[in-house]
Amino acid sequence: MAFFNIDSIKDRTFDAIVVGSGISGGWSAKELTGRGLRTLVLERGRDVQHIKDYPTTFKNPWEFPHLGQIPKELRDANPIASRCYAFNEDAAHFFIKDNEHPYVQEKPFDWIRGYQVGGKSLMWARGTQRWSQYDFDGPARDGFAVEWPINYADIAPWYSYVEKFAGISGNKDGLPQLPDGEFLPPHEQSCVEKHFTQQMAKHYNNTRPVIIGRCAHLTQPQPIHTQQGRGQCQNRTLCQRGCPYGGYFSSNSSTLPWAQKTGKMTLRPDSVVHSIIFDEKKNKATGVRVIDAHTKEMTEYYAKIIFVNASTLNTNLILLNSTSNRFPNGLGNDNGLLGKYIAFHNFRTTISAEYEGFLDTITEGNRPNSSYIPRFRNVFKQETDFLRGYAAGFGSSRMLDTDRSGFGESLKANLTQKKYGNWHVSSHMMGETIPKETNYVTLDSDLKDAWGIPQLKVSVAYDDNDEKMIADFHQQMTEMLTVAGFTNIKTNDRPDKAPGLDIHEMGGVRMGKDPKTSLLNKWNQLHACQNVFVTDGACMTSNSTQNPSLTFMAITARAANHAVDKLKKKNL
Amino acid sequence: MKRRSAIKNLSLAVAGMVSLPAWVSAWTPESIGQVNSLPIPDENLLAEITETIIPETQTPGAKSLKVHQFVLRMIQDCFGEEAQTLLEQGLLKTDQLANIAYNKPFVSCDTAQRMELLTHLQTSDDPAGKQFVDMVKNLTMRGYLNSEYVLVNINHYNIAPGFYHGCVPI
Ligand SMILES: Cc1cc2nc3c(=O)[nH]c(=O)nc-3n(C[C@H](O)[C@H](O)[C@H](O)COP(=O)(O)OP(=O)(O)OC[C@H]3O[C@@H](n4cnc5c(N)ncnc54)[C@H](O)[C@@H]3O)c2cc1C
Ligand code: SF4
Repeated sequence: MAFFNIDSIKDRTFDAIVVGSGISGGWSAKELTGRGLRTLVLERGRDVQHIKDYPTTFKNPWEFPHLGQIPKELRDANPIASRCYAFNEDAAHFFIKDNEHPYVQEKPFDWIRGYQVGGKSLMWARGTQRWSQYDFDGPARDGFAVEWPINYADIAPWYSYVEKFAGISGNKDGLPQLPDGEFLPPHEQSCVEKHFTQQMAKHYNNTRPVIIGRCAHLTQPQPIHTQQGRGQCQNRTLCQRGCPYGGYFSSNSSTLPWAQKTGKMTLRPDSVVHSIIFDEKKNKATGVRVIDAHTKEMTEYYAKIIFVNASTLNTNLILLNSTSNRFPNGLGNDNGLLGKYIAFHNFRTTISAEYEGFLDTITEGNRPNSSYIPRFRNVFKQETDFLRGYAAGFGSSRMLDTDRSGFGESLKANLTQKKYGNWHVSSHMMGETIPKETNYVTLDSDLKDAWGIPQLKVSVAYDDNDEKMIADFHQQMTEMLTVAGFTNIKTNDRPDKAPGLDIHEMGGVRMGKDPKTSLLNKWNQLHACQNVFVTDGACMTSNSTQNPSLTFMAITARAANHAVDKLKKKNL
Repeated sequence: MKRRSAIKNLSLAVAGMVSLPAWVSAWTPESIGQVNSLPIPDENLLAEITETIIPETQTPGAKSLKVHQFVLRMIQDCFGEEAQTLLEQGLLKTDQLANIAYNKPFVSCDTAQRMELLTHLQTSDDPAGKQFVDMVKNLTMRGYLNSEYVLVNINHYNIAPGFYHGCVPI
């Protein structure tokens, strides 16, 4: 219980505080400590140490009592978490339980969270695509949301910087809508995926590329990765359990141990940040209030700069809860826009089909990745009746055609006979949603959580634009699959699937040029409280069609280095 | 010969179930609960049913792989109350049918008789019987295919294949 003895103000004072230890917080920790700052990393959840705390990582399928399926009692008690595809027997311990962390759904929203050291970096699917200038141009072009204060050129070097350290595999495809990065060798496409790629190039004159996905796996570790103690990805595809080889990027295997090695990081798990302390005389933030997750005791910690990396909605919550005379509506919230313009990715629909060719081939082994169809709608100009566009995942597998009829010896023999059916392909849409004022989060005025913190009230929904986009995806993909010779094409929209399951929520504390219409400047500092930085998904002005986490990393590294530069010049 | 006639009778009995006398409708799902004197459906019977589905040959069958325990656990922990009732009543029904058809409990029947009984249950117009057999059969296949024995010895399962090849000749 060493930390309860820390009660002198000096012992509770650091150069920097980072709130949250997930994908973005890990990067804040690494950059700030790497530049010599004594940094306190506060994490509301328990400690999870690389390898040691991955209890299922070496388990064989038959060692799970329910073969991976979640028992009914646990499922019934956690309807929200259960709707996430990765909430299974092997990884359920990394997901929060619904009743322990309640929130108010003004409209249905499945908020998926991992509260522990490493956050959601342990369970994520590791798709890492850069955003392009077309993504940063979106709001300025169609007038929805506000203009970004940064361009692709501002962030490109930081993409390179984080890609090299995290280790991203991919192919240099030379696409304007999906810039190339610093890649380790790409995964292979299957013959059916290659066939689709070729057919698309032929029928659409190279305007609809299909590529191998880019992902945070060490397909060929470089010295910088071995220095982190990470090794070659073994293609186990059991990543959501935590990878003992450090084969994929997680805070636990990469940024946090790196920060630890500097000797400058103090990591405090079980520390729920309640709010940020604003000092009116100094006109800046001086620290944070922390509630011990177990004793519920409140302690204050102090620092010159604060990085808020609690994940999009929790970052909004903390800022909204940071009230003072100067900021009665939440820290930095002079314009009343804090918590508004939340956006997400529309993952509501999928399409599947079969291919009757290549019947003499199969795939072997596993691949922690799939193919990817970058956005091809409204990229260079507005060409449809909906705004922005969608990307899509595209995967293939050879189905086993097993005769399951009858009982007894013949059934037994048939079951283990490898007779292959057609190739099966499927694709899921990842649609950009438009940040709108009507998609917002606020604090509930009555309901509190177990730590006395107001519950978050979420009001986020699909709109007409999303519906039009879904219809277009169905239509375009059906056409694309048809011309490529696929059969048995089936679309599968699930209108009852609430937003949130994409786990790509963004916004609420958006960046912008003008303090009247945005909360953060181009360096991710609150306009009105410049020593507080927000660099997780909350800062996103709009949200592109690509997976967001690589961009969270790049933006974080950029802002953290800027913060240190400013501190060193005594400018903060 | 004997078997044929037994099954024929059995078909009659079950097909005509709704309109037959009370003793026949004793194994409808609704009434089973009240028949306290019926034998408790036990693990042994389930084990023999799974063994009938996947028998011991040169390689182990469901019983020696304890697939029935997997089936039980899944039904108990993952499938909910309705499935538990379906299981209990299905076991009961299986034995009752065996008694009607062969004058002996399911476990004493030979392989051919057992297979006839399961097939009958599955194809009769009693939906609960079909659901029961389908459920147990699906779980048995799943348990068997995912047993350590099959994964290691037949599928040569290896947790870390270390590779992916996208296009390999079969
Ligand atoms: C199953 C799944 C698949 C995904 N797939 C992808 C993908 O393929 N590509 C992609 O880009 N993204 C993916 N994501 C999303 C990705 O995980 C998130 O975008 C990313 O983790 C967000 O980083 P973050 O730092 O904002 O938040 P997190 O990684 O969630 O970390 C936030 C941390 O802050 C802590 N925290 C919260 N509130 C407080 C508080 N009050 N005080 C102290 N600590 C606090 C939390 O406990 C947590 O540890 C996926 C997510 C999941 C769950
Ligand atoms: S696929 Fe790679 S990263 Fe995922 S668990 Fe396996 S070795 Fe680890």
